[in-house]
Amino acid sequence: MKSAALWLAAAVLLSAAAFVLGEYHNDVYRKLLLWIALALSYNFIFGIAGQVTFSHFAFYGIGAYGIVILLFYAALPWPLAILGAIALCVVLALAVAIPATRLEGFYLALATMAFAQLFIVVLNEGGSVTGGTGGLASYRLPRIAGLDLTGRTYTVVIVLLVLATAAVLRRIDNSWFGRACRAVRDNAEAAAAMGIDVARTKVIAFTVASVLAGIAGMAYAFVDNTVNPPIFGLENAFLLLFMVIVGGSGRHAGAVVGTVLLYLLPFVLSPLIGQHHALVFGVLMVAAILLQPRGLIALYDRFARR
Amino acid sequence: MQDFLELAVGAAASGCIYGLLALAYLVMIRPTGIINFAVGEWAMVGAFGGFLVLTQWHWPYGLGMAAIIAFMLLVGWLTERITVRPLLERGAPVLAPILALLGILVVFRESISLIFGPDPHQVPYPFGFGRLEIGPLAGSYQSFFMIGTSLAVFAAAWYFFERTVAGKCFEAVALNRRAAALMGINLARVTALSFAAGGAIAGLAGILIGPNISAHYLMGVPLAIQGFTALVIGGVGRVAGALLGGLLLAFAEQLTVRYAPVPPGYAQGVPLVLLMIFLIVRPTGLLKARA
Repeated sequence: MKSAALWLAAAVLLSAAAFVLGEYHNDVYRKLLLWIALALSYNFIFGIAGQVTFSHFAFYGIGAYGIVILLFYAALPWPLAILGAIALCVVLALAVAIPATRLEGFYLALATMAFAQLFIVVLNEGGSVTGGTGGLASYRLPRIAGLDLTGRTYTVVIVLLVLATAAVLRRIDNSWFGRACRAVRDNAEAAAAMGIDVARTKVIAFTVASVLAGIAGMAYAFVDNTVNPPIFGLENAFLLLFMVIVGGSGRHAGAVVGTVLLYLLPFVLSPLIGQHHALVFGVLMVAAILLQPRGLIALYDRFARR
Repeated sequence: MQDFLELAVGAAASGCIYGLLALAYLVMIRPTGIINFAVGEWAMVGAFGGFLVLTQWHWPYGLGMAAIIAFMLLVGWLTERITVRPLLERGAPVLAPILALLGILVVFRESISLIFGPDPHQVPYPFGFGRLEIGPLAGSYQSFFMIGTSLAVFAAAWYFFERTVAGKCFEAVALNRRAAALMGINLARVTALSFAAGGAIAGLAGILIGPNISAHYLMGVPLAIQGFTALVIGGVGRVAGALLGGLLLAFAEQLTVRYAPVPPGYAQGVPLVLLMIFLIVRPTGLLKARA
């Protein structure tokens, strides 16, 4: 009962922000919220299940392109298009996960990186279906159940999406499956000895996280009303990894802290160093691993305990 | 046939570059288990070194190349000193230095783009634009220069690992770190040397490929992927595997562009597909490590 009230309060507060902020800041806010949704699900596969992957943004893109292509190229009604895009994410996630999660450590990262790069190649060469290097544009969100979900209302939709993602992941994390994921991360042999099916745990964790990324991507498709290949490339996949590590991997709050910090940093830094804020991200990433491997959230813990 | 032989020289030249990058990975992976994805960025630094020293300062080619390689030894050693050694000394999990090196990758790339700007820069050819014919084989001077230099590096690497005591130390560390340390091998020194050597080899690959693709701050990651694919095809066990993997990858790429009935854009997918297939089907590579 108490936690339901907390979730409701969070939904109201985060939605209220949309009505305080102006048009431009709403756009920034929506993108920040989507980054948080991605960081939460990436934290699940990387921080909690211990699998380094670079395909998270590819699944974000599969969701985004999937919904646009199904709605406007295949002209499906919206409930079918949403289900179709989710189904596409599930099928592709399983197709990547079942063979790839057998790979150990960074070899999995490179296999998923190859998949993500291949996705970009397919987008660039996809002709009229994917719109090639220019991507797809000039489409609009249809009225859903008679509602016009554009502008500030759409920010509320994304707030609900982020909270739903957080709720699902918290629920999974606190279940036996979440503990199985942590056991596999910390010591796969010991986990297997305790009766955990290591391969299945990895496949399910990867699929859940990737499908959540795909759903966030479906929401992203109508933020700018355009999708194009560079958004879903390796650059952002690296940035997502940096966000989770700087914030504190394995902790939901850490993922949120890291994302907010690294997302807002360029706005502060650009008057000083222009477009080179990635340099600062790289330095922060190295510093985090060397000096504070459990991330900024661990600093907060130390402070709170006093 | 003429067409194929022409293509073969070019493919062999690119294959040697991929092989050098695979070798750079290999000298670091063998003793430490660390996959240093920043090798592509090191190659980029080498290519920009070529632009700076050879194009802007007009140094003679041999001297410039030696200076860049010396500088890259330093870059590799410093990278190890700053990011890898503190983590190894602390006993951090093996993934920690790998991820820290991804941060270093971004630092290198952004520093270069900050210093040199986003435009491509020309790196000179050591022997100009001429064309050389050896029997039925024909190609540019640069292709033959790339092949010759790479083969010399591979011969030296083979000699080092197979015939010298220092090379045996590397192998001992690769086989069993703990036992090697107990035998009196200085692990910290082997790790530092492997990173310095990796930096020099990757930098050399950058100088060699520089004239063909121009020095550009985004050239690193594609090279890193191609080099790693070559490594996975050949297997991390042996020096020859890196060269074999590089050559196979380059031929697969060039043959796809030339003969396969797919749009040329899909040729970029060749290393990616090969990487996935080899990782999943044959993760040990084509050549087995010697027991």
